[in-house]
Amino acid sequence: MIPLSWYLVVAFVMIGLGAYGMVTKRNLIRILIGAEIMGNGVNIALVAFSLYNPVFSFTGQGLIILVISVTAAHTALALVLMLMYQTRYSTVDLGEPVTVEARKSD
Amino acid sequence: MLMQEFEALFEEVEFVVIAVVVLLLAYLALEHREIVYSVFFFGFMAASVAGFYLLLEAPFIAGMQIAVYTGGISALIIFGVLLLPRAQGSSLEVLQTPRMRRIGMILSATVMTLSAVLALVFPWSQSFPADRPPIAQDLAGLAAWLWGEHGIYVQLVALMMLTAVIGSVAILKMEKTEKLSPLKDRPGLGSRGKENEGASETKAHDEEHQDAKEAGTQ
Amino acid sequence: MRLFIDFVPVLVWALLAIALVAIMLLASWVLRPHILQNSDKTSSYECGEEPVGTAAVAFPYSYFLYTVLFVIVDVMGAFLWLLSVSPLRISEVIVWQTFVFVVLIVLGIAFALHMLPQTLLDGKETLRLYRESKAAREQHDSGVQV
Repeated sequence: MIPLSWYLVVAFVMIGLGAYGMVTKRNLIRILIGAEIMGNGVNIALVAFSLYNPVFSFTGQGLIILVISVTAAHTALALVLMLMYQTRYSTVDLGEPVTVEARKSD
Repeated sequence: MLMQEFEALFEEVEFVVIAVVVLLLAYLALEHREIVYSVFFFGFMAASVAGFYLLLEAPFIAGMQIAVYTGGISALIIFGVLLLPRAQGSSLEVLQTPRMRRIGMILSATVMTLSAVLALVFPWSQSFPADRPPIAQDLAGLAAWLWGEHGIYVQLVALMMLTAVIGSVAILKMEKTEKLSPLKDRPGLGSRGKENEGASETKAHDEEHQDAKEAGTQ
Repeated sequence: MRLFIDFVPVLVWALLAIALVAIMLLASWVLRPHILQNSDKTSSYECGEEPVGTAAVAFPYSYFLYTVLFVIVDVMGAFLWLLSVSPLRISEVIVWQTFVFVVLIVLGIAFALHMLPQTLLDGKETLRLYRESKAAREQHDSGVQV
C-alpha cells in the first residue's frame, strides 16, 4: 500500500501551483482556475486521511461531497461577478487600474 | 504471493503516472497562452484527479469528481470564457513588472513550504493507529453517513444551490437595470473617459423627452 | 479486491480512446493536401460574405443562467445517485428528506425560469437604448465639428 506521505506530497505541490497561479496572474478566469487547483489538492489530502485513519472513515468522504457541491455553487457566483466586473469596468484584467471615485457621488 | 507483489508494484506505477499527468496538466492550465486551451487542460486535470480517488478506495468521490468538476465546473468556466471576450486577449498573459512576479513567486513558495512542512515533518504516522483499517468501499455506509446521520447537510446543500441560482438571477437582473438607467459618469460603460461629461445632462434630458413622447403616443 | 484492479478495463478503454483520437488526427494530417494557408483559408467562415470583425463576440449574459441550472441539476443527481445505491431509501424519514431536498432545488429552477425573461432586454428597451446611444453619438459628433 502506498504510504500517506506520497499523497500529501502531490497535495502540497498542487496547493503551491494554485497559489502561484492566483498570485502572479492578471486574468480573472486564470485566477479562478488557480483557486480550483488549490481546492483539488486539499480534497486529495482529505480523502487520503480518511483512508489511512479509521476515525475519519466516512467523515472525510462525506466532507468531500459537501466541499465539491459548495465549489460548484461558488464557481457559478464567481463567474457571474466576473460578468458584472466586465460590464462595469469593461476589462477582466486585474493589472489595469479602475477608478472608483465616480461611485462616491451616488 | 507473486500476485500481491505485482499488485503493489502496479499501484505505485499507477500513482506515479497519475501524479505526473495531474501536475503537468495543472501547470499547463496555468501557463498556456490560450485561455480556452487552459480551461480544457483544467477539465482533463479534474478527470485525472478521479484516478487518485480510485486508488484511495473512494468510488463515489471519483464519480462525483468527474460529474461535477469535469462536467459542471469546466462547463461553467468555458461558458465564462465565451461570455467574457476580453479574457481571451493574449495581452493579458504578459506579466507585470518583474518585481511583482518575484513577490508572487516568494508568496507562493511560502505557501508551498508551509504545506510541505505540514505534510512531511508533522508526525502523521504516530497519530494514527498502527494496524491498517479494513478497506471499506461500500457506498451504503457512505449513504447512511450522509443521508441518515447527517441529513441536515443535504438540506444545507440544497439551500446553497437555491442561493446560487437566486444570486445569479439577481445579479444578472441588476446588470440589466443598470444598462437601462446607467449611473452617472460611471467609468467603463459605453464611452470611457471625458466625452461622457457633457453628454450626461443631455442624456437625462433626452430620456425625459422620450418618456413624454411615449406617454403621448399611448 | 482493490478498486483500482477492478477499474483496469476503464483504464484500457481510456487509453484506447486517446489512441483513437491521436490516430485520427495523424491520419487526417497525412491524408489531407498540404496547400498554402492564405487569408481566405484562415478567416472565419461566413458563407459568401466578407467576415466582419473576429469570431469572438460578446453573447448576452443571460445564457450563463442555463449553465448554472445545469450544474445544480448535476449536483442534485449526484446526491440522489448516492441515495439510490443504499438500502436506506425505504425508510420514511429518508423519503421526507429527499422530498424536501428535491422541492428546494426545483423551487430554485422554477424561480430562475420565471425570472429569465426579466433578465433579458425586450424589444422596447433595446429600441430605447439604441435611440439614447444614437442621440449621444450625434451630440458628440456635432460637438467635435463645432
